[in-house]
Amino acid sequence: MSAVIAVAGLSKLYRRMAPGYHLRTLKSALLDGSLTAGLRPEETIQALDGISFDVERGEAFGVIGSNGSGKSTLLKILAGIVRPSDGRVEVTGRVAALIELGAGFHPEISGRENIYINGAVLGMSRARIEQRFDEIVEFSGLGDFIEEPVKNYSSGMYVRLGFSVAIHTEPEVLLVDEVLAVGDEAFSHRCLRSIEEFLSRGGTVVLVSHSLALVEEFCTRVLWLDGGRQRLLGSPRRVADAYRQAVAEEEGREHQRAKEARELEIGSGEAAAQMAEAETAESETAAAPAPEVESQTEPRRWGSRQAEIVGARLLDGHGAERYHFASGESVTFEIDVEAHEELANVVFGVGIFTPRGTECFGTNTHLEGFVSSRLAGRATVGLTCESLRLAAGEYLLDVAVHARDGNPYDYHRRLLSFTMTSPGGGVGVYSPEHSWRFDGGIEWQARPEGGGAG
Amino acid sequence: MLESTLRLVRYRGLLATLVQRELKARYRGSVLGFLWSLVTPLVLLAVYTFVFSFIFRPRVTGAQPYALFLMSGLFPWIWVATSLQEGTVSLSASAGMIRKAVFPVEVLPIVSVFANLVHLVLALPVLAAGMLAGRLLGFPVSGWPALAFPAVVFLEVLLLGGMVLGLSVLNVHFKDVKDIVANVLALLFYLTPVIYTLEGVAFPEAGWARLLGAAVTGFVRWCNPFTPFTEATQELLFRGVWPAGGSWLHMALWALGSWLLGTWLFDRLKDSLGEAV
Repeated sequence: MSAVIAVAGLSKLYRRMAPGYHLRTLKSALLDGSLTAGLRPEETIQALDGISFDVERGEAFGVIGSNGSGKSTLLKILAGIVRPSDGRVEVTGRVAALIELGAGFHPEISGRENIYINGAVLGMSRARIEQRFDEIVEFSGLGDFIEEPVKNYSSGMYVRLGFSVAIHTEPEVLLVDEVLAVGDEAFSHRCLRSIEEFLSRGGTVVLVSHSLALVEEFCTRVLWLDGGRQRLLGSPRRVADAYRQAVAEEEGREHQRAKEARELEIGSGEAAAQMAEAETAESETAAAPAPEVESQTEPRRWGSRQAEIVGARLLDGHGAERYHFASGESVTFEIDVEAHEELANVVFGVGIFTPRGTECFGTNTHLEGFVSSRLAGRATVGLTCESLRLAAGEYLLDVAVHARDGNPYDYHRRLLSFTMTSPGGGVGVYSPEHSWRFDGGIEWQARPEGGGAG
Repeated sequence: MLESTLRLVRYRGLLATLVQRELKARYRGSVLGFLWSLVTPLVLLAVYTFVFSFIFRPRVTGAQPYALFLMSGLFPWIWVATSLQEGTVSLSASAGMIRKAVFPVEVLPIVSVFANLVHLVLALPVLAAGMLAGRLLGFPVSGWPALAFPAVVFLEVLLLGGMVLGLSVLNVHFKDVKDIVANVLALLFYLTPVIYTLEGVAFPEAGWARLLGAAVTGFVRWCNPFTPFTEATQELLFRGVWPAGGSWLHMALWALGSWLLGTWLFDRLKDSLGEAV
């Protein structure tokens, strides 16, 4: 096994664009072949810092990281489009970079002619393109559309044609950037299959992706970039889990901050009115992300306020406040209420929802047979789930205090959000304790560590 | 210097494909198609012929009939002007492609030179018809030496190629370059013997006007790279005579100098292209 890609101490500086740098960057480009050699540190941005790794022949190497972590820069350097500022990068063999599909496509001319142009740009000879032309069209699934000008293509068709040409250039190293996300489901699968075939023929793949599932399924090793630095390099499972954990922790901190901000509002009397106003203002700007869609049309808090929810939190098995949990952990939902007058028939309720509004679980004291006789002053209610087996994802919490006849005293939608991680994997809303068992003639090339128990 | 040259030779297939794309795309969907490439030269020819035959009567000698003389200088000049303007912006216009695909970037400026050369070649039948008509009317225009025109074109490709390689890569750093090019070209049109002959220019005999005249003609003769090419073209196509040996040497020096400087500049700056465009 030999290293097809060898990267050692790779760093990349980008210049900041500011007036007056032009002459100096041109001068330094002329003298040193680098745009940034003549700039002071504060005039540059460190996109990559001290990256080192090797990729062996036949390996599928994944790169993950948040936006701006340097993934794309790394790919461009491997492709030879951008030069490193420092360090050594060696790539052996013909490289095809699926960074932008359909490079050089001209909108006015037909798909057929564009295949020739794109193929030539990617380094194929005319004879070679002619030889593989039918395969390229076949794979793209464009059919008669191949005679249409490319400007009439949908973005999916454009990408399909681009991918089809690129995969037929017979590269030895394939650099793939997030491109597979654009086509439809069927085509994405076809792309993945052809990349798998490419791997089985001994090709080498570097895959940059936001999809941890894809990276885990596909790659033999994964590099996690964080702010241009190499955070972790290792088996896909380990790196993806560590990455998920870090993202969840970050989200947990955000939930905590958001909750603190909300608690300040709960205390004041006009909070509800203000919130409703803020809500409509928000929906007018229409900038809220998809999960918020439902709440734009509904108020988030209502009720007579004879009893008021003045605080809510999530606690783990040790009583510590937390907003990210692993599936199966003990979780306690705790609500502080304050009754402004003495109330006789009170019901406390909790509901867990996905951001899309699916109710995962909901219960209240009335449903479970509690009959209250008195609520006065401050009180705290706790609902403990000894083993909360939600699937990985984000969840929202509704809490309510209302009368037995259903009249709300204080109903709070989406008061809190929290994140679950599921070490065993799987999708959905429910993550039961599970394990796989295999009998008969089944063999596995790879198995999860520990046999795959959830 | 050698690096770019070798890559251009190696990737001539890509060059040809991209020139085709350029031409196909330009006239796709238009009714007259490539005939449009004849419209601009013919309109300019009509305007200048009218202006200089009826409004100003130029004191040019050895340029009769004027329309045919003008044609032999003007058509190649349009090639020069359009390839320099398009070539200068060729890299910045293809930023997306340069940032995202791996291919020999140096073909892009050269594509402009060849795509516009095709337009010149397509206009040559018009020129030939004009010369034939001139001969039938009894003017001693053109002749067999016209067949050597491709030799001038070859040298001029080197001249223009070197220029667009250098200008395009500079334009990536300074967007001002394309405006400078446009204005210099407007000026150079009058400082190149296209609408007049250098021999026919007569300045007043006395004082500073004479000095200025000498300075301008000196500049046109020795500092303007397009002068020897324009004159050689006029000699071959219009006068039907073989340019002198010195004229060939003059063209070859400009062509070689431009090519070496352009490719040197390009090779120096191309490493940073991926992030500068």
